[in-house]
Amino acid sequence: MTTILELKEKMIRFYGKNEVYLVPIMRFLLAFVIFLMINLNIGYMERISSIPIALILALLCSVFPIRLTMLVATLVILLDMYALSLEVCLVALILFMLIYLIYFRFAPKHGYDVVLTVVCCRLHIPYIMPLGMGLLREAYSVFAMICGTILYFFLDGVKNNAKVLSGVADVEGEATSMFTVALNQLLGNKEMYLVTGVLAITLIIVYVIRRMSIENAWRVAIISGTLFESIGLIAGYMLLGISGKLLGVLIGSVVSAAIALVIQFLFFNLDYSRTERLQFEDDEYYYYVKAVPKAFISGTDKKVKRFSGKDENSERLTKRQFAREMDIDEDLLD
Amino acid sequence: MVNEERLRHMIKLSQFDENEGKECKPMTQYARKDYVSLQALISFVTGTISYVLLFGLWALYSMEGLFEKINQMEIREAVMSLVLSYLVFMVIYLGATYIIFNVKYTDGRRKVKKYYASLKKVNQMYEREERLKTTNNTEWE
Repeated sequence: MTTILELKEKMIRFYGKNEVYLVPIMRFLLAFVIFLMINLNIGYMERISSIPIALILALLCSVFPIRLTMLVATLVILLDMYALSLEVCLVALILFMLIYLIYFRFAPKHGYDVVLTVVCCRLHIPYIMPLGMGLLREAYSVFAMICGTILYFFLDGVKNNAKVLSGVADVEGEATSMFTVALNQLLGNKEMYLVTGVLAITLIIVYVIRRMSIENAWRVAIISGTLFESIGLIAGYMLLGISGKLLGVLIGSVVSAAIALVIQFLFFNLDYSRTERLQFEDDEYYYYVKAVPKAFISGTDKKVKRFSGKDENSERLTKRQFAREMDIDEDLLD
Repeated sequence: MVNEERLRHMIKLSQFDENEGKECKPMTQYARKDYVSLQALISFVTGTISYVLLFGLWALYSMEGLFEKINQMEIREAVMSLVLSYLVFMVIYLGATYIIFNVKYTDGRRKVKKYYASLKKVNQMYEREERLKTTNNTEWE
């Protein structure tokens, strides 16, 4: 255990020192994966669906905030949909407008969550999202996850019905039926309602349990979340009569729980505060400060040496007592 | 001479300014009621747009059926159900707004309180420095 803790320590220190380079690299990788996925699955417009273009776009995205990645991905998807058919593009446009209206209204800082939800859905492990977000985020980030899930199911539906969607107009010559087929992926998809609902409830459950003041709250949250998720999904699939999902749900849940435990290990009680460059001044000086967060030793690693013969109670010093003694605000000691 | 103790506090203040400060600013300017009302007003606009979009999607989806039924439909009933669904949607949307922004306000207020405590501390240090400088300037230097 100590070696793992040391490793964790090293990782935190490494991250703290090299954060300037690591964040763009991670952003680049994420953006590249997203564009590759778009190209492989729904790359109907051939001109923009090549690896060099994906590389260029990902490079561009790596130096800007995640919102740009979202925006570029949206544009790429819309262009692909346009290449498939105008009707699908229109439906996708309305869907994106709705998503942006909800996302920017309620969870504007959770761009990563929307993007990651779509990616995880594609990788068949959407079950990790409510666990991870329930542990690390606020409850209202559930909107970001819902947006991501709906988006995935729409795109997946379009992918599965690509032939129909690009061919209907030729056969029947009617635009309305095309709309119906495109929207059927959205409104008529019972699996989507089921998965979205179960994941959203799971996120709330994990969030509530994580914040309870019980022992091992994080672990209990992960376990109950995983259980609810897998049982809810399996029961739901049975009700809807969708077969062949059982194994996927089980394996996905187990993998997700494992990842969630890793998340707990890495992030529990720990704030990966960033290296910051600050500028300010007072009457005499300008200050250019680079603030690097100190990596601190986690609780289990501390050794407390007790000396016998002293009264434990009178010797213990709480933060409040100390603050009162020093005549300062308690928060200053944090 | 740089007062390191004060500098440490100033760094904290500056960090807050850089990161959460912008987001927390409205919490210092508005009372809870006003803040939530303002957000509800914005939500009213975005919610209405969302509803129109949703309605558009639904209309596209059931266009064929609509064309067939449009002659037999009671206009009054249709309008009523439209208004009713709009109201239900808005109640849910505004309800979510109310809850979320109340939580955000509470969080923001807490952070701002900490910030002002630090600010007060820095001010006190300033005053102390000034006093020391003016009273026994030569000795202090």
